[in-house]
Amino acid sequence: MPALNRLKNWLIVALLCASGWIVIEALPAGPPQESIDTSRQRPAQTVFTPAHSSVRGAISDFLNWRSGPPAQPIAFPHKTHVARGLQCQVCHTGVDQGPDAAIPSVKFCMSCHLVIAKDKPEVKKVAAYQARGEDIPWVRVYNYSASAHVKFNHAPHIRAGVACSNCHGDMLQQTTAVRAVDLNMGYCLSCHTQRKASIDCTTCHY
Amino acid sequence: MERRNFLKISAISGALTALESCGSPEQQLIRFIPDEDLVPGIATWKPSVCTLCSAGCGALVRVMEGEAEVVRNGRTGIIKMGLAKKLEGNPDHPVNRGKLCARGHAALQVLYHPDRIANPLKRRGTRGSGDFQQISWDDATAELISHLSEIRSSVNGASLACLTRPLRGQRRELIDRFLKAFGAPAPISYEPLDETVLRQANLLSFGSAALPTLDLSRADYLISFGADFLGTWNSPVAQSIGYGEMRQGRAGRRGKFVQVESRMSQTGANADEWIPCRPGMEGVLALGIAHVILSDKLRPRDARSRAFALIAGWAEGLPDYAPDKVTKQTGVSAETITQLAHEIAAAQSGAAIIAGAPLAQTNGMFNALAVNALEALAENGHAEPILSFTPKPPIATAAPNMQAGFPAISAFAQAILKEQRTPKVLLLYDANPVFGSPASIQLREALAKIPYIVSFGSFIDETSAFADLILPDHAPLESWVDDIAESGATRTVVSLAPPAVHPLHNTRAMPDVLLDVAQRLGGPIAAALPWKSYDAMLRSAYVPLRQHSGAAAPPSEDEFWTKITTQGGWWSTPTQTRAEAASAASPHVPAKFAEAEFDGAAQEFPFHFAPFPSQSFRDGSLAHLPWLQEMPDVITTAMWSSWVELNPKTAAQLHIAQGELVEITSQHGSVRAPAVLSAGIAPDIVAMPIGQGHENFSRFASGRGANPLGILAPVTESDTGALAWAATRVKLARVGGAEEGKLVLFAGGMSRFPAEEEHR
Repeated sequence: MPALNRLKNWLIVALLCASGWIVIEALPAGPPQESIDTSRQRPAQTVFTPAHSSVRGAISDFLNWRSGPPAQPIAFPHKTHVARGLQCQVCHTGVDQGPDAAIPSVKFCMSCHLVIAKDKPEVKKVAAYQARGEDIPWVRVYNYSASAHVKFNHAPHIRAGVACSNCHGDMLQQTTAVRAVDLNMGYCLSCHTQRKASIDCTTCHY
Repeated sequence: MERRNFLKISAISGALTALESCGSPEQQLIRFIPDEDLVPGIATWKPSVCTLCSAGCGALVRVMEGEAEVVRNGRTGIIKMGLAKKLEGNPDHPVNRGKLCARGHAALQVLYHPDRIANPLKRRGTRGSGDFQQISWDDATAELISHLSEIRSSVNGASLACLTRPLRGQRRELIDRFLKAFGAPAPISYEPLDETVLRQANLLSFGSAALPTLDLSRADYLISFGADFLGTWNSPVAQSIGYGEMRQGRAGRRGKFVQVESRMSQTGANADEWIPCRPGMEGVLALGIAHVILSDKLRPRDARSRAFALIAGWAEGLPDYAPDKVTKQTGVSAETITQLAHEIAAAQSGAAIIAGAPLAQTNGMFNALAVNALEALAENGHAEPILSFTPKPPIATAAPNMQAGFPAISAFAQAILKEQRTPKVLLLYDANPVFGSPASIQLREALAKIPYIVSFGSFIDETSAFADLILPDHAPLESWVDDIAESGATRTVVSLAPPAVHPLHNTRAMPDVLLDVAQRLGGPIAAALPWKSYDAMLRSAYVPLRQHSGAAAPPSEDEFWTKITTQGGWWSTPTQTRAEAASAASPHVPAKFAEAEFDGAAQEFPFHFAPFPSQSFRDGSLAHLPWLQEMPDVITTAMWSSWVELNPKTAAQLHIAQGELVEITSQHGSVRAPAVLSAGIAPDIVAMPIGQGHENFSRFASGRGANPLGILAPVTESDTGALAWAATRVKLARVGGAEEGKLVLFAGGMSRFPAEEEHR
């Protein structure tokens, strides 16, 4: 009875998957914090592979599962700022010079918000960060899988006149940034082919 | 089960068993507001000065935005800041011209060293135990000030003392002024392999009490007596560049290089001819060569130089140094001596230099004066000599005021042990004489008797373990650094640079601490040190150089200051001096050959002991840097360890095989290390690198290898009192097999050595 056998095998696989998933879900999000010295708490330094910090991360990366936009410490309204005519590069400096755009420090936010809209609750939160001498712990939105060994350099894209919205979506519609585009290799390649940019492997993977 | 399903199942169960941790290690640390706004991913290159040896090379530091874990107001967190990523040589710097040696590259690890002292420390346990507790800067400086004001009110100024590494530039000026304001004796500078003998000999022969600058790029012939000028001696980067040009930089004209030494160094391995000579006889060999030059009339006999007048019998043509006589004394054949003499005399531009072991004999001064006379003969009054002296910068400094070297440190220890003069407070800066001096001078016991010791070190080492208070200095890349190159360039060089990165830890620059303390003590001490900060002091010292910068000088002082701090220093237009007439050195009795004396009877201690500065650690001050521990020795490929170099014949007689554990015993102690058989060493010599054998110097150096300096006899050079570190005789015995020896060689595979055991 090959049909039954095959079904049995699949059932075993499904059972193992399910139990595995339960175990993964049940495990704590990080290793227990060892408090040897309370004055020097270190972040958890464990890694699953060089590319993934955890098993869950590896599996969801493999299956391209992503949770929704991450919760940010401040509900920063991009749309308000853009609508008032602020250009992206005013805050995200260095995007035309190097691989990464800067995320402004709380000092930069407060250079305007010392006077503008200082009564808004979110701006008060920003002011509180500065008062504590802390920077805002923004959470990364776009990131590629480190296993892809892909490097992205903003500057040549800006020089080639690629609009920020091509990859980041229309910021006039967004409060905190969302992953507007699924940045997989197909997306990159379609644009590179269209614009006759290099599609050599080593252009991005090095 | 199908193969496919089996694979799926095993993949999943494998993933489950590999489960070590789950969840994301999101930063649980707070993020501090950055001090500076940097463009991410863009590197800037900032000038700095390499401080790992005394050559004073200029460096460039690649600084990029990065995240560092720091402590601010007692809280640990992450901050975005410019971090040093890589060091290179500064191409504009006249000494190293864009190059940097392996030791210089490792300066990055001083900055990021895991065992760097991050906070001021106060002793909690017994002296030397290394048990300290963290205190605040306010408490620490208050404690220092209270101890200093106590001695200020006492009449006896000698109750303050200072031990440092040899210093130049404004740090030296600062310490000098500080001590002088207290009425304290001058600081004692100590490094194990100090160059007192050569400086003194150069003062007598050439009128400059300095190490020579070698312009090898113009040399056709070079004979070196023991100088490891490509490895560790003087200004190795500048000399290596010059050597490269001498050998390969001029089409059709390759200079010849002869090395005379009793143990083959890295430099010796590069020579066209390597000539072993009996220890302490190098001066005789040099005069033997000079004898042939004079008697064969290869150079005019009536030539005058003060270097000649210092040798007894020169005017008579050195009758005591005929080749057959010299052969008996040195072991070098008469034909070789005659051949060397003719080659030197035939060269258009030849030079003779001396350094290292020949100077560290009881007759070191004779050896130095003899080679200097040969040098003067070889150069023959050339208008542009190969060997010259770097001119001093035209700035006002206090007169050279340092008690240098072995005589000073042994007198210091003796005065305390005999209870003649015990300082109440000792300041320690960047010197580790407990490691670097022979155990027989009992420095350890002397330090234990000093009531209060303050260290400005960045690491706990054998000496600073005695400290009661540690006020950690910034790493060099975090500090204002300045240096005045003693040699390596034919023009005046002042290396100067601002901090390349912000401080990572809760440290303060030593000069700023002293200036602050002086201000708070007030009175004449504050008046002697009127500057608010060290950079203000540097500025007031170096801005006057603008007047000496010729037509290209920037129009204002501000612009001049900006220019010299961004290019990494100030250098004059090229000039070459060997100002023989300028100096007023006291006349010296013409040197006569005196047999070198050795500690230990030849019957009981049959071998000459030849410690040599390690390629990686020099005198041991760099043993805490893992990159340098990892760097294989050029000759033996040994790493992470100590070893003893033996001639294979000697080893066969004593039944010692490669890698076996041997014990070297002098009259003053013994050390154990594995044997390395090397043909490049005379049969009656055993050699051992200096640098390992630290008891207490970071996780990478502590308890590793053995320290040959500890077993040296306190024999001194007869003229200067410098430590004659090559004048100890030893005996040798096999005490264990290769398993106990644990020799780690890069060549030949390291699989025999379990990783856990050998590499911490």
